[in-house]
Amino acid sequence: MNYACQLADLPRGASLRLTDLPGSPPVALFHTDDGELFAVDDTCTHADASLADGFVEDCAVECPLHAAIFDLRTGEADGLVAQYPVRTHTVVIEDGAVYLQLSEKIPHLPAGAQRYVAS
Amino acid sequence: MTALEQPPVTAPRVGSAGSASAGSLVPTLPGHWYTDPAIFEAEQERIVEAGWVCVALSADLAEPGAYRTVQVGRESVVVVRGRDRAVRAFFNVCRHRGARLCVEPEGKVRNKLQCPYHAWTYDLAGKLIAAPNLTQMPDVDRIGYGLVPVAVREWIGYVWVCVAPEPPSFEEEVMGAVVTRLGDVESIDHYGIEGLALGRRISYDVAANWKLVVENFMECYHCATIHPELTEVLPEFADGYAAQYYVGHGAEFGEQVRGFTVDGSAGHTRIPGIAEDQDRRYYAITIRPGVFVNLVPDHVIVHRMTPVAADRTLVECDWLFLPEVVRSGVDLDRSVELFHRVNAQDFAACERTQPAMSSRVYAHGGALVPSEHHIAEFHHWVQARLA
Repeated sequence: MNYACQLADLPRGASLRLTDLPGSPPVALFHTDDGELFAVDDTCTHADASLADGFVEDCAVECPLHAAIFDLRTGEADGLVAQYPVRTHTVVIEDGAVYLQLSEKIPHLPAGAQRYVAS
Repeated sequence: MTALEQPPVTAPRVGSAGSASAGSLVPTLPGHWYTDPAIFEAEQERIVEAGWVCVALSADLAEPGAYRTVQVGRESVVVVRGRDRAVRAFFNVCRHRGARLCVEPEGKVRNKLQCPYHAWTYDLAGKLIAAPNLTQMPDVDRIGYGLVPVAVREWIGYVWVCVAPEPPSFEEEVMGAVVTRLGDVESIDHYGIEGLALGRRISYDVAANWKLVVENFMECYHCATIHPELTEVLPEFADGYAAQYYVGHGAEFGEQVRGFTVDGSAGHTRIPGIAEDQDRRYYAITIRPGVFVNLVPDHVIVHRMTPVAADRTLVECDWLFLPEVVRSGVDLDRSVELFHRVNAQDFAACERTQPAMSSRVYAHGGALVPSEHHIAEFHHWVQARLA
């Protein structure tokens, strides 16, 4: 389990880019307007851009750069702009703190973002 | 007379003390003030770019993501309604390499403004949110390299922007113009303009300097000659004194006139908030440099001017009625036609005047008669801004 943040610091509609998770590329954590929490790989599988800076609507995040869309529940890509899914991570809340159980799958990283694997 | 026999052109002796006509005539600006590109450029910089400019009807930007690209002096500005429904304005310049972000005059984006050159991407609040390889440049300040904001105000249902780094007081410059003309700002509030709906919009491309358009709007010495329909509805215009000559004065409709329409026939539902002394009257306000507001009991007409060259001015004119009137689909033609005709008559007069501005004979300008003397104050204002 990896500590992410205090829930109180992530209001509804906010997102957080977590860059210092051990052995993992950056992860995007979302608190949706509906009050749900989701964590997915932060890097779009189409091109190197941060999904944490994207737009969340109807349980999906739209990449700010080329508008690829990923389902926040499954990580599934829209199949139009992006072909590969992002990994989803389990979010656990304990005593007002948000923790992540990171996926053990191999991440799909676009060209230009392979540095995250090397590290 | 041959060319050799022509007398030399000298400065007109208008308003000179001691002459028989002392006091009757006041000089206009010299002709080159209406033609000189250097003066036009100075006006753009020190008048248009220094003040508040009315750029759109708030309803033109009704939905989140709706935007308009507008020219403010020499600057292109994007006005956009955010996902939080607030209207914001930005210089239309990508912070990366300067490409124009928006080239269409209007449109709708879903959630971002993206430069079509290298895809630097900004959210609707102007923050830089994405760019190719941006995640590899964590030192880039997303706010510092966000779009450069332009001051925005929404008032009487219109969006006003100011591109100056330190905008002048909106209350003094814009609302103050209303107080100067009507005596107080409540008088315009009675019309509830922000609650009216757009019934018709007509754009005019006028081949004349913007100051000729303003001067024309400020006086009514020409009304009896070129505005037969308007003078029929507002008989007092026949004596040449416009509503803008006085403070708090509205021109009264003629006795037989039933509404502010091209033939004096009845208009539409009266705006409920107007005061008794605003019924059956026409009020006009000039908000310098480029807005004219015309108030009649059942509608409001707003002109917005964009000077684009020393000899060319674009004018967008809106006719606003009660929303239920517009929704009903009732024929607005007779209401619109009156001022559309006035516009066409006025702009034709301005276009007839523009070519003479570069005549040798007009090098020292012309003359203002007493019912036009208040225009000299406008000239002093322009000159003071450029001094």
